[in-house]
Amino acid sequence: MWSRITYTLRETWASFKRNVTLTAAAIITSAVSLLIFGATMLMREGFDNLLVTWEDDVEMIVYVNAGTTDEQRSVIDDALASNEGVTVRSFRYCDAECSLGEAEQVLAGRPDVLAQLNLDNIPSQYKVIPTEATDVNTLRDLQADLRGRENVRSVDLAEDQLDLIGKLKNFFGLYTLLLSISLLVAAVLLIWNTIRTAMFARRREIEVMKAVGATDWFIRVPFMLEGLVQGMIGGLGACGALWFINERWTAGVRDFPLNSGFVSMVVTDGFLYQRMGILMGIGALVGAIGSGIAVSRFLDV
Amino acid sequence: MIRLENVTKSYSPDVVALRDASFDVPKGEFVFLVGPSGSGKSTMLRLLNRQERPEQGSVWVAGRNIIDMPSNRVPHLRRNIGNIFQDYKLLPNKTVFENVAFAQEVIGKPKHVIRKQVPAVLELVGLEDKHDRFPDQLSGGEQQRVSIARAFVNRPLIMLADEPTGNLDPGTGEGLMRLLDRINQTGTTVLMATHDQRIVNAMRKRVVQLERGVIVRDQARGVYD
Repeated sequence: MWSRITYTLRETWASFKRNVTLTAAAIITSAVSLLIFGATMLMREGFDNLLVTWEDDVEMIVYVNAGTTDEQRSVIDDALASNEGVTVRSFRYCDAECSLGEAEQVLAGRPDVLAQLNLDNIPSQYKVIPTEATDVNTLRDLQADLRGRENVRSVDLAEDQLDLIGKLKNFFGLYTLLLSISLLVAAVLLIWNTIRTAMFARRREIEVMKAVGATDWFIRVPFMLEGLVQGMIGGLGACGALWFINERWTAGVRDFPLNSGFVSMVVTDGFLYQRMGILMGIGALVGAIGSGIAVSRFLDV
Repeated sequence: MIRLENVTKSYSPDVVALRDASFDVPKGEFVFLVGPSGSGKSTMLRLLNRQERPEQGSVWVAGRNIIDMPSNRVPHLRRNIGNIFQDYKLLPNKTVFENVAFAQEVIGKPKHVIRKQVPAVLELVGLEDKHDRFPDQLSGGEQQRVSIARAFVNRPLIMLADEPTGNLDPGTGEGLMRLLDRINQTGTTVLMATHDQRIVNAMRKRVVQLERGVIVRDQARGVYD
């Protein structure tokens, strides 16, 4: 058993050395495609963070001054309730605790600002979902009405903020995904070609192996392992580059103005590491598919 | 040890390599397959190796009909068959020792067995002092001896040789035949396809003659024609 393992590893390494340029090309292509794929995932998460305040069809947010009592707040409650079924389909109250949780996502790129927020100074908010028939002008009337109420800090409409963000998210999400998929296909084809070349270079060896009674799997495994390792090295490279880019971005975003929205576009809570795991998995899969096709197609044992 | 029963093999409707061929080779026999190029000699060897399958008939090797043998058993069949090729098929980047050891390594023989058996077989073929040479540092005869050592190192029941003296001068070819004869003396069945009239006539072993895929002669202690 041990001699088989050492044989397989030795042959895989020898094949790597024999095919340096093609192997490097396959690894670089898979790394670049995985990096773009990983960056797409991070970007989408960043946009999602930016849009977190507007989740679930919320079209209007009424910010209430910190420290407002439930009794003082009832005026706003009543105003919204009186519009329920007409302009407003539903609304919910997000108290200070809920707002602080949201801020942790939105201000992830600015821990210094986040550190200054607490349950006593953060505004609470009403999330308002309009009825389907409500047009923007009616919502603007409601916005103007609520703005005049006591303890209302501000009233934001999604219309003013969401359009551009949504368009950006869809644009970048779609095109970078298409680009990374195309590059992943290129990586599969390159790995496939590398393995085919490796098999061609070792055709006499394969012939002898078959003649002396080596099993199909014994012949195939070093080639499959080679493809798998290429994909995984590509994945590792992509993870390293993604980690570096994310570190630089997270550090750089602190210099952006608070209201630029960019401060929301950082990932937290191990999101990056989860996605790095996914990239490694896809890298291995790309390698396995490329080498698997080559081996089953060109190694007639 | 080997039995062909009414074997027909064609590569296309116009190219029939073997036609209704039948013959038996008992254990330990030495048989020459003779006939002109394209008569079906190599096809017969390929059938015995299960590199090809016939359209009709059955092929028995070591008591098993190998036509219906599942693919995953074929490597095990081949471990009982040593192959010698006209062009040696040695691996140029491996030494003599490594070339022979390769045949054991790829079927999972442990290192200590390889270290013991490879020098023994190199001694048998007379190359013990050239174990660290590369194929391009050897003469044609020596390369063919390495090929024989590789075929014999796993002690197969059968040796199939396809024109093993085809690239060698007559003197070297005779030396090689003495070696194959010694291997045959150990009980290994040898089936050798050849055009070498001198060798066949000198050895006086059984001769099976093929012409256009048909066995036209099967003669004990025969000559080339």
